[in-house]
Amino acid sequence: MVISPIHYIFVPLATAFLIPLLQKLYKDAARVVPGLVLFYNLVISVILFRRVMQHGTVTEIIAGWRPPFGINLIMTPFSATLASLVSFMAFAVWLYGFRFKRVLKGGEVMYYEILQLMMIAGALGIILTGDLFNLFVFIEITGITAISLVAFYRDRHGAEAGFKYMLLGSLASSFLLLGILLIYTQTGTLNMAQIAQKMPAVDSGVKVIALIFILIALGIEAEMFPLNSWAPDAYSQAPSPTSATFASVLAVAALYALIRVGYTLFDARMISGFLIVMGFLTMLIAEMAAFSQTDLKRMLAYSSIGQMGLAMVAFGIGNETAIFGALFLMINHAVIKALLFMSGSYFIYNLQTKKMDALNGIHKRLPYVSFLFSLGVLAIIGFPPFSGFWSKLYILYGAANKNMLLLIIGILSITLIEMTYYLRVIGRIYFAKEKSEPASHKPSVNALVAMTALALVIIILGIYPDLISGYLHQAGRFLLDKQAYIQTVLSMR
Amino acid sequence: MKEFQEIFLRYHALLQAAVYGSAVLLILIGLYAVLMKKHLVKIVIGLSIIESGVNLLFVAVGYISNHTAPIFSPGYEHAADKMVDPVPQALVLTAIVIGFATTALALSLVIRLYRHHKTANIEQLKSLRW
Repeated sequence: MVISPIHYIFVPLATAFLIPLLQKLYKDAARVVPGLVLFYNLVISVILFRRVMQHGTVTEIIAGWRPPFGINLIMTPFSATLASLVSFMAFAVWLYGFRFKRVLKGGEVMYYEILQLMMIAGALGIILTGDLFNLFVFIEITGITAISLVAFYRDRHGAEAGFKYMLLGSLASSFLLLGILLIYTQTGTLNMAQIAQKMPAVDSGVKVIALIFILIALGIEAEMFPLNSWAPDAYSQAPSPTSATFASVLAVAALYALIRVGYTLFDARMISGFLIVMGFLTMLIAEMAAFSQTDLKRMLAYSSIGQMGLAMVAFGIGNETAIFGALFLMINHAVIKALLFMSGSYFIYNLQTKKMDALNGIHKRLPYVSFLFSLGVLAIIGFPPFSGFWSKLYILYGAANKNMLLLIIGILSITLIEMTYYLRVIGRIYFAKEKSEPASHKPSVNALVAMTALALVIIILGIYPDLISGYLHQAGRFLLDKQAYIQTVLSMR
Repeated sequence: MKEFQEIFLRYHALLQAAVYGSAVLLILIGLYAVLMKKHLVKIVIGLSIIESGVNLLFVAVGYISNHTAPIFSPGYEHAADKMVDPVPQALVLTAIVIGFATTALALSLVIRLYRHHKTANIEQLKSLRW
């Protein structure tokens, strides 16, 4: 069997629909089979990542229709990096959540796993597709599954958070369709490479209107400032492995869509000012909101939004250094925030409350989980020698190359806010007076393995960033080189 | 039939304006419902009205005057240049299916919200705020 990018999407999607049948044959199929599928995805992502990095972009023609006709999958170094990240994180989350769902009632495990697999398939589709309408379809797949997962716990908060997400998500899809329609009327094609080729000839007024529609739509998905009111509720009401998936899979895919459309279809210069301003506002407001939270998961959710804002700023700066920093940040954020959600969920599980007041002195009851949580906190603030340090450093370095002094000051002051509220949590965990109750739920072995693996990734990338920096530079260069993208796709045989 | 075609050709510009205008109007009506109405079901209806407006706009854009449906049927084997653009129609089919799924999901969430809160007024759902 020849390995190609289509396996990324096809295998999880097909398995998701087969799980109800497999469940009839084998009682634990719903829990075991997704793991096998995600492990397969991980294996092919290693193979394809090497192939892409050595021989350049891998493309896949579907159903024999060569571009610009038909749908094709395009795996540039940029998308290969993110696809591998998503596959790795999806497997880590599955490993973490393998026993987590025992907490839930028997039959619901199946729905959880099906939705989770479909969400991951959709996110990989967003990252790999080369067709604008196909992008819309995959955004809808991830959106619908994500909404269902937010409303997974059948309590009042779950439904409310789900409805909020639903409202904004539907508006996003309508706006995205309008934007696609405008682009189609002007260029007569849906293939992203051909649109990029024909875009310079399009009337600039229409171009701006289409860009506004698409930015509103993708801004909702990528948690941009005035459009992100769904995100804190969604993160905090979803089951904890799903919150980790949101931070490490959904956010990555949404940001990819924003950047691909902004950089390739339109012009990077057109959106750079917008991205810097909106990203900065997103960061500022989200970190200030995180500062005033009393609920652990909501605080982590706001911090996620803040990190997305920083990534938008970095993509807005748009030179090679800043893009390197932004890619590094996407990897860091996926790994670290997933670790924080995973370990934080064990605190919540033990305390039976999401309030942070209850965290006092919990390190005596859950020493190892507390250690991992603090490691994640230090990494996300950007203390050396953890991986978060390098991404922030390179983003600031990129801003310095463009003489954006105010922006640097802004980012550093926001980091100060971030530091204050995160270290407050650490203070509670280690130094506050405890209420002595024995630990009722020790973390399971598979969850410990998953969390330890993520912590190791943070430490290793922090000490040897050179392990991935070569690949990230290559990915960033490819993102900036629009002509190469157009040429590779349109000259496909 | 022939008379109808003549009338159609004479008022073609008017008809086209009517189609585009009603599509835009539908989108605006839907936006009004989503933003101003308080009842959850009315908001969901508004969302699906917006979707219909966008779909109508898609079909209108793909229409070329005096062309037939894009189907290669007997008598129309070599009539590709006499057919309307098939791509928007295919897209609209997909969009309708997706819209159906989102509307069903939204209505199920509304039912669940109603069971928990005993109200369908969006202003009384206040358990999740900043």
